[in-house]
Amino acid sequence: MMDMDYSALARRIDHTEFRTTATYCDIRRLCLEADHYGFRAVVIQPIHCSRAAQYLRGSDVAIVAVVGFPTGAFTIAGKGFEARDAIEQGATEIEFVVNVGALRGGHGDLVLEEMRALRQATGRHILRAIVETCALSDADKRTVCELGVEAGIDGLVTSTGYASGEATIEDVRLMKRIVGNAFAVKVFQRTCDLHGASERMDAGATLLGTESGVQMAETAALTVSDRQQEQP
Amino acid sequence: MITRTDLAERIKTGILGTEVTEEDVRSDIATARTYPFAAYAVDLSFLRLAKLLLQGTDILLTAAVSYPLGGMTLATKLDQIRLALEVQADEINVTLNLSAIKSGDYATVFSEIQAMIEAAEDALDVIVIPQFEILTSSEKLKTCETLLEAGARTIKTDGHGGCCQPEDVRLLRRVYGNAPLIEASGGIRTTAKALEMLDAGADFIHTSTAYSVLADLGDQ
Repeated sequence: MMDMDYSALARRIDHTEFRTTATYCDIRRLCLEADHYGFRAVVIQPIHCSRAAQYLRGSDVAIVAVVGFPTGAFTIAGKGFEARDAIEQGATEIEFVVNVGALRGGHGDLVLEEMRALRQATGRHILRAIVETCALSDADKRTVCELGVEAGIDGLVTSTGYASGEATIEDVRLMKRIVGNAFAVKVFQRTCDLHGASERMDAGATLLGTESGVQMAETAALTVSDRQQEQP
Repeated sequence: MITRTDLAERIKTGILGTEVTEEDVRSDIATARTYPFAAYAVDLSFLRLAKLLLQGTDILLTAAVSYPLGGMTLATKLDQIRLALEVQADEINVTLNLSAIKSGDYATVFSEIQAMIEAAEDALDVIVIPQFEILTSSEKLKTCETLLEAGARTIKTDGHGGCCQPEDVRLLRRVYGNAPLIEASGGIRTTAKALEMLDAGADFIHTSTAYSVLADLGDQ
């Protein structure tokens, strides 16, 4: 990864801002950074979507809104409403937190119904489900992956960053093993460095959601310029 | 000396969060029913179930709206309020648009609260959460002034992850007198801490660990 063309990595980074204290200025900066560094997307809460759409007009950076965030403990109809509203506000992709309580309680049928409802609500927009791996048994992780494939969503995200932990490398491998090439596994790792990004991509992650995109970009740029200086 | 019953009547409790299962809600409410709690809060996915399970008690049902981060749009908050009305919940706990507060955009804070109170008609008590822990002193005052002007009558100091300070309760009482109802919330896990909040002027204590809060008190 260190030797990888940095712009290729940037296109797999989802530049994320989940702090509740993020101001309008913070969201503007997030959008400008994403455009400047060539990140794939910005990931934000729905209140910020209309502003992000203004800041990113004419850019190909995707605007991802998180729905039912961060607990997932909302109704199916409510998440559907929120997803449609976010798209109206300017979101181009939706990530919704699955009903983790239903999954843990053995109600996979509810989780599937929810995924299908969200699939319908979001139409042709990209839809990923956030599964909160740290709250799930391995059996539940398998179930949610299988349900995702069955419901025809576009990807899974490992965690919200608001629960007790983040996904392990083993979680990524497990999820990748089950979904194969059916769709994307996105890792959310609030703080991450180039080595961590490389490990997660090697384990099968397609996308990396993080707040560390700029640090990684600058580290990669420095590494390149150091090398150029070393050359005689 | 305050009794266990006296304190329970001033406690609002509930079960909230990602990991909660239907089984958890059923067993927690079965226990809660045996206490004279003031209110019981659940996430929206369990609102209908909790309404059924609380039947026959005087415990109010609280719906958590845009909870806990406050990052949902006004349209979504209003949609969630419609659900709370439909299920006939008694009150909502709504986390305010903290980004607007931090951006100094109090006009948005005001209009959102006003719209929610209007949508709730008189059927639902709108209890707003400014999340004191992350606000500066001037933001606290400006926010409370805004929410009272917009028609809110009850302030819940903090939501998930916050930690209520008795100084915050005293500050509200000093500035706004007896008019607003104050719910102290966040990190209240012992009898002593609960009593400290009541002494400071809180009307209610919000805690997910109601039984440990009651543990040090006798029945009489």
